[in-house]
Amino acid sequence: MKTFLLITSLFLIESLSVFSQTKITGQVDDVKGEALPGVNIFIKGSFDGTSSKLDGSFEFATELSGDQILIFQFLGFKTKELPIALDQETINISSIQLMEMITEMNAVTISAGAMQASDQSKSVILKPLDIVTTPSAMGDIMGAFQTLPGTSTVGNDGRLFVRGGDASEVGIYIDGMRVGNAYGTTTGNVPTRTRFNPNLFKGTFFSTGGYSAEYGQALSSALALNTKDLSVRSQGDLSIMTVGGGYSHTLANDRQSITASANYFNLGPYQQLIKQKVDFEEAPKSWDVEVAAQKKTGKNGLLKVMARTESGGMKLWQPLPGTEKRIQVDLRNDYRYAQANWRTILKKDWMIFAGISYSKNFDKITYDSLKVDRTNELIHIKSTATKDFSDRLSAKFGVEYFRHTFSEKLTEANQVRDYKDHETYAFTEWDYYFNKSLVLRTGLRAGFSTVSDETWLDPRVSLAYQLGDKGQLSFAAGKFHQLPLENYRVLNTTLQNSESDHLILNYLFSKEGFTFRAETFYKNYDGLVTFDGVETNASNLENKGSGYARGVDFFFRDRKTFKETDYWITYSFVDSKRSYNQFQTQVQPSFAPRHNISVVVKHFFPSLKSQLGMSFSYNDGYTYSNPNVDNSAMNSKTKSFQNLSLSWSYLPKPNLIIHLACTNVLGRDNVFGYTYSPTPNPAGVFESIPQGQLAPRFLFLGVFLTLSKDKTANNLNNL
Amino acid sequence: MKKSIFTIAALFMWITFAMAADPAYEAAMKKQITAMQSIPDLEASQQVTNGFIRIAEAKNEEWLPLYYAAYNQIITAFRFDVDKDQFFDQALDLIKRADEIAPGNSEITALQGFATMGKLSVDPASRGQEMSPQAMQLFGKAINLDRANPRAVILMSQMELGMAQFFGSGPEKACGMARMGIDLLKKEEAKITNSYLLPTWGKREAESVLENCK
Repeated sequence: MKTFLLITSLFLIESLSVFSQTKITGQVDDVKGEALPGVNIFIKGSFDGTSSKLDGSFEFATELSGDQILIFQFLGFKTKELPIALDQETINISSIQLMEMITEMNAVTISAGAMQASDQSKSVILKPLDIVTTPSAMGDIMGAFQTLPGTSTVGNDGRLFVRGGDASEVGIYIDGMRVGNAYGTTTGNVPTRTRFNPNLFKGTFFSTGGYSAEYGQALSSALALNTKDLSVRSQGDLSIMTVGGGYSHTLANDRQSITASANYFNLGPYQQLIKQKVDFEEAPKSWDVEVAAQKKTGKNGLLKVMARTESGGMKLWQPLPGTEKRIQVDLRNDYRYAQANWRTILKKDWMIFAGISYSKNFDKITYDSLKVDRTNELIHIKSTATKDFSDRLSAKFGVEYFRHTFSEKLTEANQVRDYKDHETYAFTEWDYYFNKSLVLRTGLRAGFSTVSDETWLDPRVSLAYQLGDKGQLSFAAGKFHQLPLENYRVLNTTLQNSESDHLILNYLFSKEGFTFRAETFYKNYDGLVTFDGVETNASNLENKGSGYARGVDFFFRDRKTFKETDYWITYSFVDSKRSYNQFQTQVQPSFAPRHNISVVVKHFFPSLKSQLGMSFSYNDGYTYSNPNVDNSAMNSKTKSFQNLSLSWSYLPKPNLIIHLACTNVLGRDNVFGYTYSPTPNPAGVFESIPQGQLAPRFLFLGVFLTLSKDKTANNLNNL
Repeated sequence: MKKSIFTIAALFMWITFAMAADPAYEAAMKKQITAMQSIPDLEASQQVTNGFIRIAEAKNEEWLPLYYAAYNQIITAFRFDVDKDQFFDQALDLIKRADEIAPGNSEITALQGFATMGKLSVDPASRGQEMSPQAMQLFGKAINLDRANPRAVILMSQMELGMAQFFGSGPEKACGMARMGIDLLKKEEAKITNSYLLPTWGKREAESVLENCK
């Protein structure tokens, strides 16, 4: 009897499992208990499954039996696996909770001090294309950044000045490698430009303070330029401009690409046509040759190599205030830059980067009868390893080595002074996401220099918190060190680092087509270099200067309200004072105007196939020392600086662009300061010469043609 | 002995044959492809994508379910109000997986171009510069891989039309390509049987281009 029962029941079970279906029902929510619709729910290794409904519930039937694994899969969430035994007619899965994954796209990003120009990231302030289409920029990367918050325009200099800091306080990097002498050498009020074409870069990261521990030797700001990855097609680009011309050729396939380019610039013909206020004996001219290559290595690796050589110069007459005399300044410059870097992804979420860069700048300057040769050489070797421990915790580790040599030679007297510094750095940075709305970044950077025989430590911290759907609040603080300028260190090799502490609070609101950004900051300076005498003849150099900068800036960009129109408005207020150089008491530096405004508007006319651009910059004037007032330093201020620039880009054919631009259309006579005669004239007045613009306006006309099998290619990036 | 070898060989042949024509796989694919042709709303669309992904998870040697999942995500992004970038990115992810299974496939390459075109359409002003050559290159590659692929030609005609409109030139080139695509579709139709699972779409896209050719 018992046996009979057993056999029948066995049969019963058997038949049940063979013929009956199992119904699986349940509910999927997120960790907050809110229903998740659209979750893919299925039995591993089978086609049986369903999607959760709008209320998060699900139901499906399967003919499978025995022990199975039920999978819950949903984009952006962690996949969950649940072992189940299919031994009943209905199985009800009690509420399953899926946890959202923290990704770059959905998590808060640290935006204190940071401004990104890229196509991808969500906290983007500028797009790469904006750099070439900002009228006042004239195709110079720094020109475009001068329309961003926290910067000030110093028209006769051309470099980037950030929040009361001088231009040397901005560290410039290409693919994470430091670039020595990134700006062309210049003299006597002729503004300089970045040596590198914006065309080279796919994105930039510009920090006006509180930046990552990966960067150092910059008291104010880090500017990281990232070069393009593989080119997609072979093409030739020809440019003919009023100031010169060039050709660049690209060869590309699936695994590698190479671009070679050559340019020649000569302002001579232009200056003959349009009168200049500066008396050029020889107009600025230069040539450059550049090769950049990219190659995929293995499955995830990318190797980039770049080399550039250029040469240029100018000769001009500089007037001396209070006399009829003038002196000749002759400048020759040779520059070389080369770098190679490689990055790849290894197993277990390790990312490795290794790079080496070399910059060499040689200046030959003749100042009246004084002849000086200056050589500045920088080798930078760097390696980093980044590890994602989970979607919440990631860490970066890095080591760096710099060899920095500088020499200055008085040719006539055959006197040489030089130094060779070895700097070593190690850094680490840790990102921890408490959840997708709150992230903490802590970093530490340690450095050692052989020349100043000094070891230092820079701790840094930042925090970002999501406020509602579109807004976020960020905070950053940190310590920053920078060794003094080469021409001071060579005079006194015991000079130590200058240092600065940053404190930044940032609010960012971004919604499709709109960006609003407000930031307030405080930074203090210590150990700035002070000396007796003047810059070109300094003595008694010491780390005795100090100062501060504080302020607030606003940025608003709107690409939506007006059709085919994109505009942004920036206002930056900086209150900065420091004792530095020859200034033994704290003064407002000439490069730190208090109120800075810039407006950029671009409008595309589809019917005219044209883009019209307008940019306007304003600041309330530059400080200078006027000996006719009293003996004190920086006792006067110039009239306000104003520059209205216009540009017109015409695209008659997909592969042809004609670009016309004019700076300072209104012809305002901007003055950046005055040079005074060292002694008063018989009437007791110190005579002066204003430091102004080379000409009221600068006019640019260029034609850019792309030659490729694919006729739609154009070289808008070359503008 | 000989007999047993024969038996084993026959068994293997039977197994391979059975795998090539897995009726459960075919039925599951058919069901999703049919459902895909009449999607009323976003929810239904997600169900179709999920369905293809389930098949892909179970049959990880097949590229077709990944292809259709990606294709459906692209269509969904164009059709419904969703985070378009997220959908196109997911499509590109699925395409990458399909490409690993069947490298050098013309249909997969053309679909990658389609997804790239989708990304481009989110922000043409700033992405056009980088992505339009990418998309064009992918369509060109897809055509070279299989000159009889109507979708590669039709998608390229869409790009050509967009470019012609932007630069105010005539749509002749785009029209010619779209017509060529229609011809290729007709040739393809002859091959379609009841158990045909390969992509057949493209007519609607070609016709929308041809609307500009009067």
